[in-house]
Amino acid sequence: MGKYIIRRVLQMIPVLLGTTFLIYLLVFLLPGDPTDGRCGQRPCSPEYVASFRAEYNLDKPFIVQYLLYLGKLLHGDLGTNFYGNTVVSELAVRYPVTLKLAVMAIIIEAVVGIAAGVAAGMRKGKFVDNLITITTLVLISIPVFVIGSLAQLVLGVKWHIFPVTSTNGTFDQLILPAIVLAALNVAYAARLTRTSLVENLRADYVRTAKAKGLSALRTVGIHTLRNSLIPVITYIGASFGSLLGGAIVTERIFNVNGVGSFLFRSINTQDGVSVVGTVVVLVFVYLVVNLLVDILYGVLDPRMSRD
Amino acid sequence: MSDSEHLLEVNDLHVEFRLRDGIAKAINGVSFYLDERETLAILGESGSGKSVTAQAIMGILDSPPGFVTGGEVLFQGTDLEKLSPKARAKYRGPKLSMIFQDALSSLNPVFPVGWQIAEMFRVHQHMNRSDALAKAITLMEKVKIPAAKERVRAYPHQFSGGMRQRIMIAMAIALDPWLLIADEPTTALDVTVQAQIMDLLKELQEESGMGLILITHDLGVVASVADRIAVMYAGRIVESSDIRPLYANPLHPYTKGLLESVPRLDQKGQDLLAIGGLPPNLLAMPAGCPFNPRCRYAFDKCRAGEPPASEEIEPGRTAACYLAGRLEGAHA
Ligand SMILES: Nc1ncnc2c1ncn2[C@@H]1O[C@H](COP(=O)(O)OP(=O)(O)OP(=O)(O)O)[C@@H](O)[C@H]1O
Ligand SMILES: [Mg+2]
Repeated sequence: MGKYIIRRVLQMIPVLLGTTFLIYLLVFLLPGDPTDGRCGQRPCSPEYVASFRAEYNLDKPFIVQYLLYLGKLLHGDLGTNFYGNTVVSELAVRYPVTLKLAVMAIIIEAVVGIAAGVAAGMRKGKFVDNLITITTLVLISIPVFVIGSLAQLVLGVKWHIFPVTSTNGTFDQLILPAIVLAALNVAYAARLTRTSLVENLRADYVRTAKAKGLSALRTVGIHTLRNSLIPVITYIGASFGSLLGGAIVTERIFNVNGVGSFLFRSINTQDGVSVVGTVVVLVFVYLVVNLLVDILYGVLDPRMSRD
Repeated sequence: MSDSEHLLEVNDLHVEFRLRDGIAKAINGVSFYLDERETLAILGESGSGKSVTAQAIMGILDSPPGFVTGGEVLFQGTDLEKLSPKARAKYRGPKLSMIFQDALSSLNPVFPVGWQIAEMFRVHQHMNRSDALAKAITLMEKVKIPAAKERVRAYPHQFSGGMRQRIMIAMAIALDPWLLIADEPTTALDVTVQAQIMDLLKELQEESGMGLILITHDLGVVASVADRIAVMYAGRIVESSDIRPLYANPLHPYTKGLLESVPRLDQKGQDLLAIGGLPPNLLAMPAGCPFNPRCRYAFDKCRAGEPPASEEIEPGRTAACYLAGRLEGAHA
């Protein structure tokens, strides 16, 4: 197991190098100049532009810029953007909000998704099953921005059940965005749970459990569910990884000050340093969460454990 | 047959599967009995209803689609069919128990084997965790799993096929059941391992005096371990007999065919399947005797009306065939 983890961690290095290079290149190739619009209505003076470019190494060739950036990265310095703020400090404000939102969404996803999936799977072909199957299909087929805007309009603006925006990132403000964010994943988690449960209920070991004289509750609740939830928990873990990357659409609809909207704004304002720094962190977090999910999978399914 | 109480007595059992395409009558009036210390072999081709009979006795049929539509399952005089599902579940484990063909898929992949054996004591006897695990180790030793103490926390996939079946057996005999049903316990195993498992079952039976129902389609296994044999065809017992006379003089043409299809070392290369044709479709049974389309002795009477009833031909031997006991002289 230890060896496996070390190998996986080492594998992250080329992935991180590749992604930073790609994203750095893309930002470098963006049209326009970061000094555009920095001096009011007039174009900036050549002196200012020159000193600006020198300060941010923009006068050097691309590959030198990239290597200088990597050097700083190794020291935990994600760079300082053109507004003079370090990317670390920018993220320190926003990441907790995104994390909070992701945790809330993942709890909704796990609880509602698994409960709905079990209800459907246990009554396969019955009314509850059909209801849940159709509901999840609807959720899957509607784009997030439609669900988000509708929820905001109906539940927030019209009925005043939830705050309309989530500017301060407090718990009550984040409930509605968390629900919207979870909606799609709830649907997938429910379907996965249902399929997996139905499949496992047919397994030979379920017949053995009955032959052992176990109650129906124990047969399903312990023997079957323990097996059925392996792919579901793995899926939920992986979706947590994506949620930690921030949800650009949802965060913007509800004006959540998270990494998603920060990234969006940074791209719009051509704040290359912030874009690269943020993406590096997001890729890193995603890789770590995925490693944790893979380890979790080995723990949940002993047949997969790597020893 | 005496009127005294048997360990298990199955009377006129009927099971059907209510499927989308119709009703498949899988078991059509099966009757037999079993006493303590006795071994009954149930023999028959694939699909003849051996497993369904076993599952109906255990009360673990997949329902729906499977339903017991008639008959009694008397266990020590109690009709299990009349019990509530809860009361019946209490019989499984301490009174009757079952092992299956594929031990790998029949064990739960995500729990350690010791945990799965210990579960019997935890659930039925409310024993605490460590006592139950100690009992599990004792049982694993009893079924001759080497290094039981070290392997109690291992998972099913970490054992060989033979060892896995031993674990199934340990689980099944954990609560000292009166009756053990073994549904093709050795089919998935190598020949040498097959013999070891059969020896183990015999040994455990001699020690505890439990009744054993051995389901198989291997006539070779039957001869050495069974006291009596019941031959099934299309959900019926077509012949039931003490073991010796059956081999010498089969009463039913189907049994005769089965015996002729046992491969012999001196007849290499011969067609193993002496009985041509296929078992009938349960959704469209032929009129008369269900075996008639494949029977080389069949005559008019066999092809119409009800199937022939099971009758006692000799003491301890019954058969459901108009020609039972007269096959030697009949025209083939
Ligand atoms: N769960 C089920 N649903 C529908 N039909 C079933 C089910 N279980 C068994 N049957 C049908 O009942 C009949 C008897 O099956 P059974 O499993 O008892 O055969 P078997 O004698 O044990 O055969 P094998 O030697 O292959 O194990 C078969 O026709 C089978 O298709
Ligand atoms: Mg079978």
